[in-house]
Amino acid sequence: MTSVASRSMIESNVDVEGEAGRTDSLAGLGILIRLVLRRDRIRMLLWFVGIVGLVVATAASITGVYNTPAQLEQYAQIVRGNSALIVQAGPGYGLDDPTTGAVMMNEVGIWTLIAVALMSVFMTVRHTRTEEETERAELVRAAPVGRHAQLMATMVGVTVANVLVAAGVVVSLLLYDLPAVGSIAFGLAIIGSGLVFAGVAAVGDGWLSWLTWLSPPGWGQAIRAFADERWWVLVLPLVAASALVYVAIQLQNRRDFGSGMIPQRPGRADASPWLAGPLGLAVRLQRATVIGWTVGVGLIGFFYGIVADEAESIVEDSPEMAEFFAALGESSITDAFLATAVLMLALVATGFTISSVLRLRSEELAGRADPILATPTSRRRWVLSHLAVAVGGTVIIMVVTGLATGVGFALASGDFGKVPSILGAALVMIPAMLVLGAFAMMLYGFSPRWAPFAWAGFAWAIVAGLFGTVIDIPEWALDISPFGHVPAIPASSFELLPVMLLCTIAVALTWVGLVAITRRDIQ
Amino acid sequence: MTVAISIDNLVKTFGSTLALDGLDLEVTTGEVHGFLGPNGAGKTVTIRVLLGLLRADSGDATMLGGDPWNDAVDLHRRIAYVPGDVSLWPNLSGGEVIDLLGRLRGGIDPRRRDDLIERFALDPRKKSRTYSKGNRQKVALISALASNAELLLLDEPTAGLDPLMESVFQDFILEAAGEGRTVLLSSHILAEVEKLCDRVTIIRNGRAVQHGTLDELRSVTRTSIIVATDRTVEGLDQLGGIHNVSVDDGQVQFDVDGGSLDAAIRHISSFGIHSLVSQPPTLEELFLRHYGDELEASANGASQS
Repeated sequence: MTSVASRSMIESNVDVEGEAGRTDSLAGLGILIRLVLRRDRIRMLLWFVGIVGLVVATAASITGVYNTPAQLEQYAQIVRGNSALIVQAGPGYGLDDPTTGAVMMNEVGIWTLIAVALMSVFMTVRHTRTEEETERAELVRAAPVGRHAQLMATMVGVTVANVLVAAGVVVSLLLYDLPAVGSIAFGLAIIGSGLVFAGVAAVGDGWLSWLTWLSPPGWGQAIRAFADERWWVLVLPLVAASALVYVAIQLQNRRDFGSGMIPQRPGRADASPWLAGPLGLAVRLQRATVIGWTVGVGLIGFFYGIVADEAESIVEDSPEMAEFFAALGESSITDAFLATAVLMLALVATGFTISSVLRLRSEELAGRADPILATPTSRRRWVLSHLAVAVGGTVIIMVVTGLATGVGFALASGDFGKVPSILGAALVMIPAMLVLGAFAMMLYGFSPRWAPFAWAGFAWAIVAGLFGTVIDIPEWALDISPFGHVPAIPASSFELLPVMLLCTIAVALTWVGLVAITRRDIQ
Repeated sequence: MTVAISIDNLVKTFGSTLALDGLDLEVTTGEVHGFLGPNGAGKTVTIRVLLGLLRADSGDATMLGGDPWNDAVDLHRRIAYVPGDVSLWPNLSGGEVIDLLGRLRGGIDPRRRDDLIERFALDPRKKSRTYSKGNRQKVALISALASNAELLLLDEPTAGLDPLMESVFQDFILEAAGEGRTVLLSSHILAEVEKLCDRVTIIRNGRAVQHGTLDELRSVTRTSIIVATDRTVEGLDQLGGIHNVSVDDGQVQFDVDGGSLDAAIRHISSFGIHSLVSQPPTLEELFLRHYGDELEASANGASQS
């Protein structure tokens, strides 16, 4: 350890401006890599267990359910004809002549790639931008550590995490007797897609974080694992990731430590009249987040609304499909699609609800609760202010999303009569979303250390909501997810009882959290 | 003479760590009370108990006649607090934070606020994320000093300030004391404590090891004496309470405990004093005396290992 540090120090003393300066930009890399891995060992383990667990559970149920070629063909027919499913799961490569591997990819492929992308983005941002905003980062940079060492250490750490997850996935697929070539192709797709997202996040660290959302994990699917693999596709993520890291390094050369490329604008010299209490502060702190989520989820909803109109025409062309949906006993495929779409949108937006509640935790741990609570503001009032924003933000997101989905559908179909029922479908999701938010509040009330486990509830809601019918999950376990109890409007009709029950549970969990936080130490 | 803060035998543990170990502290209304102790002695924990952020395990704490835990909200109308490590909302400007905290306390006097901003030379338009430690400290100080709080709880409030700003701070504290406000000042800057504080409490490992006025503390601690005599002083070592004696050509230098000063001077006077310099102990010496054995212990530990 010390030998690396001292050597680079001597080098930089000898030749600051010359060639040595170039290699010195990575001084301290080895130590920083170990620091990244040490700090993330639990997080990496959780991502590994989550992603590999999802793949194992799907593999277990698919190999159990679709044993014969006939069963596989039946599955493929349903998927091929349904643009709605393609919207959710991707193009469905290899379903012309379906194998277990192709079905597997169609069910879980895109979600695995998205999960790996999220893992890579979070990890990159955590060790670059977030770290740079802390004062400890300056301690590190003041040591003989090169300008790009932190970025490269992060990239190495993310690569390690991606390789571990990919290895876990490949081994699980092999254990379920899936072909080795396809399994490895999928593993490489995971690594490639993860690295591209890490690269995008690294550039965003310097400048443009919105780029993250332009890069489709479709690249990972395009490798066509288990369906006539196209290996050359792997070149794309490798080239893209390298190019992005290069751009990130160039940006680092141009900007000052701790600042972005865009200079800070001066703020107000005094507070506006409504920034006068804990509620005003909570609104101010989360305003931009609410707007971002509303626009983002609303746009996806608008897109779903437009696509939903197609669902009907596909069924009319396909007698098997009509039979399939008739067997489900649902009113129409359009309604079934819309109900599923709204559920997915609500699941995504629950990410806001939980992170908004957890804002309390980050405020407390950063020491920003103390100055508020040292004024005549009770803990209850401080907590309720943030919860009001969480609830209000959730309602705003769902109202806008419901309207956007409805308007999208109306523009595509010319049928504006469905707008109210689609809006209703979105609104009826709110109690279930609030149950998960209240769960986060309860955990936070007991201890800020426990609060992040609220994400386990979120993860379970997603698994139960999206894979509940695919994976063999016992009924009682599915019932734990609050979304399992929400009436699937417009496919089913509204029921008051479950909605009331969910509201009651949300209030009860919140109350427990409120009582708990008034009894413990503020950290 | 009323009591602003009264803490009796306070105990607070975090897991297996004993943060406060039977702490006693008394702050009289209208005084500036120095609260001294090495890092980790329990100063911040004490203040956070007084703020009702932490709940003590046992012992009594009373602040402005109320219970810090149960009456937190009511008490907080009458106090202002400056944390040692000020953490602000990165996307709010300093001016916004000052106003927000002021309004949370029930309003802010704009003239006083502007005066403080000017005296502390703070740019209130800057976003908090761009402030240095000293500037964040100023934001918290301005918001506290602009309030009408009758009790100021200041946890190392000048840690990041430059000497110029520190003297501005001292002016405002003296002004606050002149208005009859009470100040609990936790500090490491001994010159500041000597200048501002009426009484001090020194704590260590969660216990108060000494308290009183600076004069009282001095009287129980050693005074350095340099005395020149006609005849060489003899027999000084035999007296109790005399330390570090060095005799040099008709001049003797020694430290004497407060209680033995009288006997020592009587003894020396028989040798014919023709000059005497007496140095009262500085706060540094008080401090070092109480932490000295800690330093020694750690030095011994180092030499043994």
